[in-house]
Amino acid sequence: MARMGMVFDIRRCIGCNACVVACKQENSLPDGVFFTRTLSEEYGVYPNSGRVYIPTLCNHCEDAPCEKVCPSGATYTRADGIVMVDNDKCIGCNSCAVACPYDQRTVLSQELFDKGLFGEGEITPFEQQGYTRFTPGTVTKCDFCSERVDSGLDPACVVTCPTDARIFGDLDDPESKPSKLIREKGGRPPMPEKNTKPKVYYVT
Amino acid sequence: MASRDFPIVGDSLVLGYRFQRYWDDAMARAFFFGELGAGLFLVGALYGSVICMIFGVGITAILKTYFHLSHMGVPARSWRAITRPDRSWISRGAISIVLFTGAALLHILLNGFGLAETLGGGGLVSGIAWLAKVGAMLLALFVMVYHGFAIADSTSISFWNTGLMPVSSLAYSALGGLVLSLNLDPAAAAKGSGYLPPAHNASLLMVVVAAIIVLAMLQGANRGAPGARKSQRLLTREGPYVRWFYGLVLGVGFVVPFLLLALLPASFFVNFLTAVAVLAGYYAFRVLVFKVGLYDPIISFAPES
Repeated sequence: MARMGMVFDIRRCIGCNACVVACKQENSLPDGVFFTRTLSEEYGVYPNSGRVYIPTLCNHCEDAPCEKVCPSGATYTRADGIVMVDNDKCIGCNSCAVACPYDQRTVLSQELFDKGLFGEGEITPFEQQGYTRFTPGTVTKCDFCSERVDSGLDPACVVTCPTDARIFGDLDDPESKPSKLIREKGGRPPMPEKNTKPKVYYVT
Repeated sequence: MASRDFPIVGDSLVLGYRFQRYWDDAMARAFFFGELGAGLFLVGALYGSVICMIFGVGITAILKTYFHLSHMGVPARSWRAITRPDRSWISRGAISIVLFTGAALLHILLNGFGLAETLGGGGLVSGIAWLAKVGAMLLALFVMVYHGFAIADSTSISFWNTGLMPVSSLAYSALGGLVLSLNLDPAAAAKGSGYLPPAHNASLLMVVVAAIIVLAMLQGANRGAPGARKSQRLLTREGPYVRWFYGLVLGVGFVVPFLLLALLPASFFVNFLTAVAVLAGYYAFRVLVFKVGLYDPIISFAPES
């Protein structure tokens, strides 16, 4: 069975945030909710200084602490390694959000759905069709665009990235692009000291 | 790439430490009342005080449950929280609260109000009464510590991830129960029991023990992971929580009750002031532990060029 994962090539990321916008569109995310973010980090001292962009999303850990602490069994891992949240089972205790070392979970308060994207209480047709997938009060996160993956497509953030800084594929396949990149460029998982075995790697 | 120190960045889109904001004040209150009620019940059971047991089980069953449900996003589904005791401390805790409430009420009825004797006190009845007593006390002990395990289980927040967290829960809940028993049932508290000192002396001892545990947690954090050091600094050196930690947790929570218990003779006024001071410090500790919880930067390496 496949083990889906992603590689971020930090040197390719230009911080355009096209991935963030694509993710929000694909998943109809309410205002202020992000499944992926692009963090920035400045280094050096002027004039020898620079800035690097660090994309982040759910790392779909093999030993996912969010899944371990979930008291209702709402968080589960699919056979292909994608960590999912079952909206119908989530009780909104936020234990998973606390347990995620990467702070990649979002609590969906009712207020988000009431105020709408424009903050004035008017819900656009785009929001109306999109919000049906969410349950207020529950916790949500990136699922690697699982519907797209099921259809043989890459996640929306990956296909949108103009610099190929996001590479998605099967980490169990040694010939897949992410596997090769990890092997050749020495991919590092985020926070290896947390022992969560992320399926997202960074290469530089 | 090189290891370096990162700032606390809040919600801004830069690399750094982030505050946990998922367990809020309602959760702190739920943990506080859960521990306090179980501690009061256990003290009541040990000292033979029915009123303490009633208040103890009431605090845990009503206040703890109320604040826990008010924290939850979908309270109507809260029954699902009991489905994963094999891996989740929240699940174990939910089950233990239900069992504790049942066993405690049975113990109060059979042993506290003497229903077992009224029913004749035969082999079966006395067996059930003994089981209810032992079960309720063991479950109270579990409720006293499980909150600490639920917090410490989170490796994501280094400051919380310490074995001293459940120990602090145990010490604080026992202390809270003792000082409340001084006010709710002064006669039973003053008498003590065959193997326990009077509650006044036990409270004085537990103030010292709880203070040592809190200071040990700070010392451990200071020598621990970077995130734990940051949290420790937020409590002791920089930021808006320092005055609350020194003033309420250490000053009002430990120093004031220690002086009251050690220097003044027991009286209604002293007992009342002691309980207020201890509970204020205890509650402040619960809230502040949640406030200073920090996530580490998502990558611990930073580019140099």
